[in-house]
Amino acid sequence: MTSSDRRSFLKGAAGAAAAFAFQPDLSATPRSLSAPLRVGLIGAGRQGRKIMGELGKFEDVTLAAVCDSDARRLSGAKRRAPQATLYSEHKAMLESAGQLDAVFIATPTHQHRSLCEDALDAGKHVYCEAPLAHTLEDAKAIARAARAASGKFQTGMAGRSNPVYSLARSFVRTGAIRDTLSLRSQFKKKTSWRTPTSDPARDKFLNWRLDPSISLGLVGEVGTHHFDALHWFTGQYPTSVRGTGEILAWKDGREVADTVHCEFQFPGGVRSQWEASLGTSFEGEYSLLAGTMGTVKLAGTHAWMFKEADATTFEWEVYATRQQFHQDEGIILIAGATELAAQGKLKEGIGLPHPPLYYAMENFLVAVGEDSEPCCSAEEGLRAAAVAIRAAEAIRTGTEVAIPEKDFSLE
Amino acid sequence: MLVRLALHAMGTRFELVLEGDEDGPGAEAYLRAAGEVALAEVEQVDARLSLFRRDSLLSHIQRNAAEQPVSVDPETFALFELCAQVCEATEGSFDPTIAPLMRAYLLHDETATTPLLTLEQARECVGWKKRVQLLADRRIAFSAPGTALDLGAIAKGHALDLAIEVLRDAGITRALMHGGTSTVAAIGHPLGREGWPIALGAGPNAPRVLLCDDCLAVSAPGARSVQHEGRRVDHVLDPREGLPVQGALVAATLSRSAAEADAWSTALLVNADPKGLPPHMESLIGMTDQEDERVPTHWFHRPRITCTGLSGFCDIPQSRQATPLQTV
Repeated sequence: MTSSDRRSFLKGAAGAAAAFAFQPDLSATPRSLSAPLRVGLIGAGRQGRKIMGELGKFEDVTLAAVCDSDARRLSGAKRRAPQATLYSEHKAMLESAGQLDAVFIATPTHQHRSLCEDALDAGKHVYCEAPLAHTLEDAKAIARAARAASGKFQTGMAGRSNPVYSLARSFVRTGAIRDTLSLRSQFKKKTSWRTPTSDPARDKFLNWRLDPSISLGLVGEVGTHHFDALHWFTGQYPTSVRGTGEILAWKDGREVADTVHCEFQFPGGVRSQWEASLGTSFEGEYSLLAGTMGTVKLAGTHAWMFKEADATTFEWEVYATRQQFHQDEGIILIAGATELAAQGKLKEGIGLPHPPLYYAMENFLVAVGEDSEPCCSAEEGLRAAAVAIRAAEAIRTGTEVAIPEKDFSLE
Repeated sequence: MLVRLALHAMGTRFELVLEGDEDGPGAEAYLRAAGEVALAEVEQVDARLSLFRRDSLLSHIQRNAAEQPVSVDPETFALFELCAQVCEATEGSFDPTIAPLMRAYLLHDETATTPLLTLEQARECVGWKKRVQLLADRRIAFSAPGTALDLGAIAKGHALDLAIEVLRDAGITRALMHGGTSTVAAIGHPLGREGWPIALGAGPNAPRVLLCDDCLAVSAPGARSVQHEGRRVDHVLDPREGLPVQGALVAATLSRSAAEADAWSTALLVNADPKGLPPHMESLIGMTDQEDERVPTHWFHRPRITCTGLSGFCDIPQSRQATPLQTV
């Protein structure tokens, strides 16, 4: 990789970062919408419950309907959203709840396609959790339906709307880490990834993540978020992938790997390592972008910059809050720091005031209310899903698998 | 078969033992999955009610409730209603608005989202009745800025209640779960025993309880302390006086609700008078007449008035009947 290749890896590099000028407006108070919205939720499981929790913060948004085909989950939803009308079938919800403006879809991944198509067809704005789909065919069908529809569509990626990631990205895109050398993401959580039930019929429904015929496993359910964030930072997608997946921690008859390693090749020689395991929690979940002048670490509500000794000193560094990680010292990136520093409250700004999911939902609700573009389109969702689908193929076949441009295209 | 799981949350360690009838990998996977869902409830409560996380619902409430009412989910609102109820029944011995005072005594670390005030200012901020309003449509409002809630005396119990509900829902019939060893909840009893045997402290004379479909909470002042203006301040403060607790050495309660047991055990440590204790609850308070003594020399026991037949304290040395008892 030549140095000009490396530089072009970071499109729009423009010298040293102009620090605080790029900071997004970060208000801890939930944003008011231009008009009240009535929304529905399809899928009242783990993620659906989190969505319900964040929706409660928006005073102008009413969760008017909840749909789940599992009666027990639906009764749980009734407790958490007593005002909502309950449906066991999504078509009934889309038809009878005529005044719904938007629908959040948080069902098992393999159900996304028909739900997205039906919701868009019914004229609703759609927020669909990532990954969009477990097959290229389904992901492209969703992207086509979104393109043809009049409503807004947002893929529920955790990175793009995250204010602290936006800030980190502004540094990376303006050359603060200079030439990118490598990317690395990990997800570690000690969990069997299993939902308990003694009913075999419910088991198949609830434990869809462990069914290799409909689940991409970790690389799909977790990896897509990382792949999308790294694309958003670098402007690049990988061209090929190698990977391994093993069952090391949970030898309970499952067929979906609990420990996965992948290596992605980017144009120009940069490689990205991706690692996930359900057998350890060590260091949790984060992504790293390493460059010749520094490394950025992204971890949900927090982000840091680790500078090389020969990197340019920013004027604002004297005010910065730092955190020690063994022998490395990271500058804590604080969204809205200029304003907080002016009020002498810089330390209070460490960590986001809401979980990343909140910002993704806020972005969607504002896009619906103000007729603006959501931050992560269906086509972006397709691209991240395509990377995960090729990675799953590489793991399955034990070979290096190309990620052709046509995977990303709707033509 | 026994399966054991644990989780670091709420600044402590939660531990869970599940017992199933069958053996084999399928049975183990099922028990473990059930335990993980229960621990996920604890994580969820931590994410929702932590004072040390800027992205928690509680921090969201602290930032906004003095300016405009904040809508909360039914579970959180039910918890606030229980706070109001215990606060009233204990005449303020339990009071979550104590947060600014805890911070002023430096009993909260720097990451807390509580405002840092002087002791005098902080005392002004304490008082649920005057500071907190629970409104229609599950909304909470603060009557003045500076108000902040520390749910440390009830959140562990709340998390256990939700976790136990999830375990029962998953079909678990025998389990014991604790948060930081101070709040404990039991489903059923271990095979071949009448209850889960638990001792209140170490030593041969420690009172015991056999816990079965019941919850236990134990509070003691000496568990954590800081130095403040040259003297030791224990982590339990009297919300009414704004001073460190000087009453009981240990207070334990039993209730079907771990949250209720949790809140009452703190209240009884502050004021060793079980006057307003609901009839379905039981309490045991350990005290001493001797200064500098850290081990109780006598115990006050208030048995259950209703719901008898559930777990009860036993092996209580030098027990004294505790009703009525003078406030200490």
